[in-house]
Amino acid sequence: MAEVVFSKVQKKFGAFTAVHGLDLSIAEGEFVSLLGPSGCGKTTTLRMLAGLEFPSSGDIQIGDRVVNDLAPGQRDIAMVFQSYALYPHLTVGDNIGYPLKKRGVGKAERLAAVAKTAELLQLTELLKRKPRQLSGGQQQRVALGRALVRDPQVFLLDEPLSNLDAKLRGYMRVELVELHRRLGRTMVYVTHDQLEAMTMSDRIAVMEGGKLQQFAPPAQVYAEPANRFVASFIGTPGMTLIDGDLSQTGGVWTFNAPGLSMPVGPLTDEATAGPACLGVRPEHVSIGTGPVQGVIQVVEKTGHENIVIIGLEGGHRLTGRVPAPQSWSIGESVQLTLEAEHAHIFGAGPHGARLNRPHETAPLKTKHNPDKTKPKLQKAANE
Amino acid sequence: MLTFRKILFNLMAWSIVLAVAFPLFWMLVTSVKPGFELFRRPPTILPETWTFEHYWKLLSETNFLIYFRNSIILSSATTLVVVAVATLGAFSLVRFKYRGRESLAFLVLFTYLLPSVVLIIPLYLLLVGLGVSNTIFSLVIAYTTFALPYALWLLRSFMAGIPEDLESAALCDGATRMGAFRDVILPQLLPGIISTALFTFILSWNEYLYALVLVNSDSSRPLTTGVMNMLISSFNIEWSLLMAASVMMSVPLIIVFAFLQSYLTRGFGAGGVKG
Ligand SMILES: Nc1ncnc2c1ncn2[C@@H]1O[C@H](COP(=O)(O)OP(=O)(O)O)[C@@H](O)[C@H]1O
Ligand SMILES: [Mg+2]
Repeated sequence: MAEVVFSKVQKKFGAFTAVHGLDLSIAEGEFVSLLGPSGCGKTTTLRMLAGLEFPSSGDIQIGDRVVNDLAPGQRDIAMVFQSYALYPHLTVGDNIGYPLKKRGVGKAERLAAVAKTAELLQLTELLKRKPRQLSGGQQQRVALGRALVRDPQVFLLDEPLSNLDAKLRGYMRVELVELHRRLGRTMVYVTHDQLEAMTMSDRIAVMEGGKLQQFAPPAQVYAEPANRFVASFIGTPGMTLIDGDLSQTGGVWTFNAPGLSMPVGPLTDEATAGPACLGVRPEHVSIGTGPVQGVIQVVEKTGHENIVIIGLEGGHRLTGRVPAPQSWSIGESVQLTLEAEHAHIFGAGPHGARLNRPHETAPLKTKHNPDKTKPKLQKAANE
Repeated sequence: MLTFRKILFNLMAWSIVLAVAFPLFWMLVTSVKPGFELFRRPPTILPETWTFEHYWKLLSETNFLIYFRNSIILSSATTLVVVAVATLGAFSLVRFKYRGRESLAFLVLFTYLLPSVVLIIPLYLLLVGLGVSNTIFSLVIAYTTFALPYALWLLRSFMAGIPEDLESAALCDGATRMGAFRDVILPQLLPGIISTALFTFILSWNEYLYALVLVNSDSSRPLTTGVMNMLISSFNIEWSLLMAASVMMSVPLIIVFAFLQSYLTRGFGAGGVKG
């Protein structure tokens, strides 16, 4: 169990920089997701933490050790690979027991540990099988078992659920959260699936183009996305983003776009008049009355709610989310209200920073409480 | 129409099989015919009297067994050296990243493209310089020069088919680089190693030119040149003995093939298929 710290970590492959000056500090016992689109450097970051790649510059720290020059086996980590990477020629039992064998654990003790892990993951009946005789979900659990059989300081998981079908994925999400709660170990979880990141993590590190975009608890990433990229990446259906202009009269900011003009909440000192972007989540659009005119273009019925895409006068499209009983026919003209207190304003450009002044009053409910690690530390010291 | 095509196909297949098999059959038959039956016209398809005197004569009165032993030592040693070096070399070419990796691989292949005749004189001088000329060991070195590039390329493609994650997983699980190689890579590579070993063994077993030029003492001649030297002169060819020798020369290959055949076919399929 240990904290993990990246300091100014950069990784270059030839002329290509896969990870740019990453600063990330993961608390002891925390479940952190690295979330981002494919190719954003998540796996590279994880592999550097594992010791499978070496940073071009910067330091990586696990616990109180700088691990830059340590081989993977010396870092006291365990990793679950997206491809599972089970040893095809070994039985399930031998696969799970391999990390113990490599650390010189005696046979009797090893078998006991394997049996215990297999029990935990419901693999007991499969111990004598070879990996190719298992289903995807079973293989996934064996891969997990191989990581769990030891008690490493940090667990690294690289998209462990992405090869499972949707139902099993939902089940394993719950299992993993439960496992994390029970073990209390630091876990670094790579995923491109925001649902996984949102539901499982204490904090999410959103990455794009090799750069960290935001590192915050899920609720905060959702409610206060640090920039336009995070805003567009998090949430399904996505936040509506409308490019327009910001103007200030008498201390009040107004956002203007064709067919749309609305006052926006208090902004930070960085805000300047000029091009900006308005962001509105679908649940903050109400249809019925309001100053904005629109035409219903698409209605997607998901059962308990309807997703409505509305064309605005200026040509922009807006996504709204309404409870199922409310429905409209296509082509119908409607009036809308965009809730100004929940509207986001971002600076110009694809990574324009969020300009809203943070809410002082509404404290965000987060799962992760940094204080909770302290008693654990003491417990570890007592043991 | 369909049956006609089927018949035609079968006919062609069988004529090819016959064309390949008939010389082998004739070799076998000739080796057990008594000498006087050999040149009779019309020839007898099956011998009228069967005899194993040629075999007996080869084994008891000639150097055949010495040559046989030399060939076994030579081919096994070459196979061992080539497979060991090629496996590690292929591992390096596939897994380590260094400048000139690709060029190195092509350079190695390029040596394979040079005709043996060009290489043989420099090689001979080199071996004389090393003071090992006219020994089985010198042939092991010579054979390695032509078998290694081929083996390296074969194993390289096998190696490239092994997912890198397997090795990464072993490293994370606490294995050293060498440990991961032994525990994870080698077992996966086994079909590739066996096919490579088989090809190398056959190449060495049948090699003639290098053996002819580099070795000229009976104590270190392999079967190919040994048998030629002993049974074929300008005046006479001992057909019966030659055929008996040929049969016995084929036996080790047949045995090796029979044992490893399943591995070999598996090996041919590997590389492209994962899992
Ligand atoms: N060994 C490598 N050599 C060259 N480029 C690499 C290598 N590994 C990853 N990359 C590049 O680095 C970027 C990030 O890759 P990766 O970390 O695997 O992304 P992610 O896991 O977020 O999808 C990609 O553009 C990828 O092409
Ligand atoms: Mg990845």
